Amino acid sequence: MMARNFIPVFRFLPICLLLITSGGVPAHAADVSSTARGAAGLAEATARHWAFQTPRRPSLPAVTRAKWAQTPLDAFILARLDREHLEPTPEAGRVQLLRRAALDLTGLPPTPAEVDAFLADTAPNAYARVVERLLASPHYGERWGRHWLDAARYADSNGYEKDRAREMWHYRDWVVNALNTDEPYDRFLIEQIAGDLLPDPTQDQIIATGFLRNSMINEEGAIDPEQFRMEAMFDRMDCLGKAVLGLTIQCAQCHNHKYDPISQEEYYRLFAYLNDADELTAPVYGAAERERLEGVRRDIQRIEDRLRAEHPDWPERLAAWEAQVRGDVTEWSLPELVEYGDPGGLSKLEVQKDQSLLAGGHRFSGGTWRIRARTTLTNVAAVRLEALANANLPMHGPGRGDRGQFALREFTLEVAPLNDLTNRTRIVFTNATADFAQPATPPGKDGSANGPVVLAIDGRDQTAWTLDAGPGRRNVDRKAVFPAVNRFGFASGTELTFKLQCHDEIGSFRLSLTTVSNAVADPLPRHVRELFAVPAANRSAAEQQRMFSYWRTTVPEFAAANMEIEQRWAQHPEASGTALTLHRRAIPRETALLKRGDWLKPGPKVEPGVPAFLPPVETGKEPPRLSLARWLADPRHPTTARVLVNRVWQAYFGAGLVTTPEDFGLRSDAPSHPELLDWLTSEFVAPQTHLDGEPAGEPRPWSLKHLHRLILLSATYRQSSHVTPALLERDPYNRLLARGARFRVDGEVVRDIALAASGLLNPTVGGASVFAPAPAFLFVPPNSYGAFPWVDATDQNRYRRAFYTFRRRSTPYPMLQAFDTPNGDQACVRRTRSNTPMQALTSLNEPLFVECAQALARRIVTDGGNTDAERIRHGFRQVTARPPTDAEQHELLELLQQQRAHIRDGWVSAAELATGTNNIPTAQLPAGVTPTQLAAYTVVARVLLNLDETITHE
Amino acid sequence: MNLSTSEHLFAEYQRQRTRRWFFKECGLGLGSVALGALLGRAQAAAPTGNPFTPKPAPHFARAKRVIYLFMAGAPSHLELFDHKPALAKWDGKLPPAELLKGYRSAFINPNSALMGPRFKFARHGQSGTELSELLPHTASIADEIALVKSLHTDAFNHAPAQIFMNTGSTQFGRPSFGAWTTYGLGSETSDLPAYVVFSTGRNGTSGGASNWGCGFLPTDYQGVQFRNAGDPVLYLSNPKGVDDTIQRGSLQTLARLNRQRLDVVGDPEIATRINAFEMAYRMQSSAPELMDLSKESRATLDMYGAEPGKGSFATSCLLARRLVERGTRFVQIFHEAWDQHSNLSADIAQNCRDTDRASAALVKDLKQRGLLDDTLVIWGGEFGRTPMVQGGTDGRDHHPNCFSIWMAGGGIKPGLTLGESDDFGFNVTKDPVHVHDLHATLLHLLGFDHEKLTHRFQGRDFRLTDVHGTVVNSLLA
Repeated sequence: MMARNFIPVFRFLPICLLLITSGGVPAHAADVSSTARGAAGLAEATARHWAFQTPRRPSLPAVTRAKWAQTPLDAFILARLDREHLEPTPEAGRVQLLRRAALDLTGLPPTPAEVDAFLADTAPNAYARVVERLLASPHYGERWGRHWLDAARYADSNGYEKDRAREMWHYRDWVVNALNTDEPYDRFLIEQIAGDLLPDPTQDQIIATGFLRNSMINEEGAIDPEQFRMEAMFDRMDCLGKAVLGLTIQCAQCHNHKYDPISQEEYYRLFAYLNDADELTAPVYGAAERERLEGVRRDIQRIEDRLRAEHPDWPERLAAWEAQVRGDVTEWSLPELVEYGDPGGLSKLEVQKDQSLLAGGHRFSGGTWRIRARTTLTNVAAVRLEALANANLPMHGPGRGDRGQFALREFTLEVAPLNDLTNRTRIVFTNATADFAQPATPPGKDGSANGPVVLAIDGRDQTAWTLDAGPGRRNVDRKAVFPAVNRFGFASGTELTFKLQCHDEIGSFRLSLTTVSNAVADPLPRHVRELFAVPAANRSAAEQQRMFSYWRTTVPEFAAANMEIEQRWAQHPEASGTALTLHRRAIPRETALLKRGDWLKPGPKVEPGVPAFLPPVETGKEPPRLSLARWLADPRHPTTARVLVNRVWQAYFGAGLVTTPEDFGLRSDAPSHPELLDWLTSEFVAPQTHLDGEPAGEPRPWSLKHLHRLILLSATYRQSSHVTPALLERDPYNRLLARGARFRVDGEVVRDIALAASGLLNPTVGGASVFAPAPAFLFVPPNSYGAFPWVDATDQNRYRRAFYTFRRRSTPYPMLQAFDTPNGDQACVRRTRSNTPMQALTSLNEPLFVECAQALARRIVTDGGNTDAERIRHGFRQVTARPPTDAEQHELLELLQQQRAHIRDGWVSAAELATGTNNIPTAQLPAGVTPTQLAAYTVVARVLLNLDETITHE
Repeated sequence: MNLSTSEHLFAEYQRQRTRRWFFKECGLGLGSVALGALLGRAQAAAPTGNPFTPKPAPHFARAKRVIYLFMAGAPSHLELFDHKPALAKWDGKLPPAELLKGYRSAFINPNSALMGPRFKFARHGQSGTELSELLPHTASIADEIALVKSLHTDAFNHAPAQIFMNTGSTQFGRPSFGAWTTYGLGSETSDLPAYVVFSTGRNGTSGGASNWGCGFLPTDYQGVQFRNAGDPVLYLSNPKGVDDTIQRGSLQTLARLNRQRLDVVGDPEIATRINAFEMAYRMQSSAPELMDLSKESRATLDMYGAEPGKGSFATSCLLARRLVERGTRFVQIFHEAWDQHSNLSADIAQNCRDTDRASAALVKDLKQRGLLDDTLVIWGGEFGRTPMVQGGTDGRDHHPNCFSIWMAGGGIKPGLTLGESDDFGFNVTKDPVHVHDLHATLLHLLGFDHEKLTHRFQGRDFRLTDVHGTVVNSLLA
């Protein structure tokens, strides 16, 4: 038994008990069920509803069996048991307790060596130290990350018909790391909702916003991108409601919430906070790359500083240059856009406020945009094409290539008078200029070439204007000007039909016209031109720096330094990956209430705001979405912390104190232990309890690890899960917690237990998701809409934890699906837990389970001792952590002997059974072991892996 | 009939039904405990036994089982079911402006030239149902089917529209019609899954596994994917080197060990697991038996156009019949092949050659076996096609306003043609049937009031028909 003196706080308990008596049941139990209610009734119910009040720390209740308690929470459990005249169940055996804690905290079973070490440790705080060891394990973040990723609807593919792979694992790893470092939950939330809006956000804080980007993306041909952006927005709201708020806010998408005090307008006011973001596929740099990148920036800064030092008159020279070039502008006018998109209708363009066009939806990577427009101008001399960086494009665009690049093969224009549209004339362009082009490549055999912008008007598809300036400078605005050989424009008005034939399509662009002669592409970047509007004295240091960085490139005598800087740019690393993130919009997006939730029926405009029944939000100080994040993570918020505490409880006990973890509203289930929920919540947000074994400096506010300790060290948690018929009858669902929790582990853990027990497990933490073996036919038509490149890992990635198995939404991984793992279509805060024949078939016959059985057999005969009895005991301990009983030992021995005889008699191929193939060289067998022996143990191992206990949290 | 577990977790619900099964059928452990007291307050609302114990429908049910031939990709109603001679006169002309008011289309500019029907139509059977020349076999069952020419839907991109047709919502994550059905009615077989899904055709479906998902219902109710050749169910076969002796010996040992553990820890969930392994073992023989078409007569095989061992739509239809004979509640065949944006004439003709014979054979075969009366057969896709041309001269775009499906058996009025559309097959002009109405009607035939077959989730009682749907009485026999 555990000694009790290692939790000093409990020395105070008896004193508390003298002072305090239980305060009766608060208003939790109020009946607010479905009956129709007027506004007054709703207001009253809202005012009374337990979950809408900021939690207050209740006093510990008086109990009869105070000595039983190990952490304060036990007092609340005991008080209830006292009322019910029930007694707690004795503590679980040490092996069971260790296995339970290991599965709960890391999702991996303890090794026999860990079991032995724990059994041998007679120190009073042995268990507390085991808890600390498990909390410090890198696998802790994986296990608890999985709980969070269910709520965050994490997946590795985009969903819908195309369901292409997405690179999202940096976000997954961010979650793991945040949990492993015990990032306070308030910060954890703020970074995920508005990490990009924090001052000078780190790459990690930007990656964290992937939380909201886990929504599906529709790339089906011909979809309206805005329609599915809105679908994703609704999904984000649903996720925010389930995962963070514990409120079914999505009910108010179409109408006022029927039961909770959330009006439709309030829904769209919350919506407005999230609506104001661009959806950026951001570059991700590894640590080494980041170092190189910083080096490049530092070097450039140093060279520029040197230039300034060597040329102290630079401000005057810059001002003179500015005076000279600032008037050097051409008037451009925007034609009226009539029709735009790809002529086949697969991909769409949306017109933006600045009359630019933005691509969305289907990606055709090699096709033509066609834009029909009108102008009343006559005497048009040239056309300008601006390629515009945009945060909704990969790495800011302006192209839709993976790095935001594009190539323009041909740029053409036909014109027709508005009063005779069939009378079309092709405009001939000449002397095209651009503010940037890659150096010309030598022509290929087929005449292909790329580089200068003139290649876009040479009438040949195999040549293209390419403008990839390399990492660091690729994703910026660019422009090209195409002068017409003959001026055009009809007195009756002109219809213009532009075609932009691309390879990697241009994703954001604007077309304009000028009547000015000899127009060229302005060599000055737009941001420099825009700065001219700011008086020099008013420019910030950063703005001055940007101006200088451009200006120096125009100064002939700086050629050597400029060349040096160019060399540095050439060393800029490419991003090693990408992440789906949020990005603050340059031009705010307005939000309207949508009538009946229909995106085509916008109603009145709404401003960001929070529901009136919740505490007020601070406005004006920070960007709205960041204010929302801080509001959610405010200790006074009534549901945020309660919801999280309840879900943590649910993970340990199989059900939450509130059994509707996604809904704390008026129709939610009443908590079984309301005061316990409030006490735990208060302790989580503002800890006062120091637990022994807790590292120095603990506990900190919002520390999940502190919450874990409170539960893990409690006597409630440590109870045996064995149940007597009388108790089963009395409390079938274990709501009263007079016993420990017993339930089948989550699908990922089912797999991990088999991998760990067999010794195949590759415990590598983090990195890209892996393709565990899966039936190939699932990934080709007609079982998948299109073929998906799922190539079974044959290296060590085959044996990674199920946590890292690639999650394709439209093809859920069969083994995980059989064991109730959600596929990420939407947020899930409560898994179902079925018990089906499909599960039995999976764990008996699925190829990786079979490999595990074979490997466990090898392990048994190699390390398990010399007798069958020893070996069976060894195998049994691998899967359940405990030794078998005599009866169990007997059953397994009998199986072994029978099947060994059957195999020896030649009914089946021993080699095939033991290894999956008949052609196994004897040299690959463990020394001194016959194929028959190994095969017989494979049969035994397969039974061991399929034991109910093996996959059960006992 | 409200099956909601209003005050409980699914987990609790499942534990509870486990417990019932444990006492009722397993005879293990605790003996004659008063069941009611043990089951507590959820008892009244919960079904008995395991999740698939057959449950009586709350109302008179005309249909006991469903075979849904889902024609994914959306077949052109204008080429198959909805004859529009007037449209031929408009061929090559732009549609009248008032037709397009407020209309959104997927690929094309709505103001594109109209295209006349590409195939001839004729009337068939005593009912005189008008069908395309592409469907000679369907024509032979004209008096068995009800043709609905006035269906309309909310979505016109494939994935959302398929999800809508199957779950009543364009948002992913709701239970499918098949899941609702097995949730409400359970299964009449313990050797085969209650809800079986086949995929045939050229592509997979756009909606993927969510088309047959269980949403927030217990995962027991999601469709189980079958293949129409080889091992029908994933992981059905024993691993290499494991014969039946080893399998039986292993499972017996496993059951005894699990039972020993049950005696120690007292958790009835272990009894459920013992049962699950037994069912898995039974499925290992019942599923191959299902797939073995050697006992089917030549005449039957020919009627379907099925070849044993060769997976096809025809084989799937035959397997569907064999499944419902064996007690499977819901079979759905997803045949994704109908998305004819171009090359319509040749492709749709080929699709009909692939599906027409077997679809009709299924209805005939069910009838000759006396199964058609209480088996509901549904044939249809997720939306219709535009009367406007796409892809040059021979294609049609997605169209949500009007499309056609047919149904047979299970209380559907045979020989009926319901609904009319305008001269363009563009808008419904008579007897409109929304997808929600269709769902309400199908549930009605299965014996449910669609407003009462609900499940409490997130504080709300969800339905297949959301907050809509009216039973289409004229469809009922």
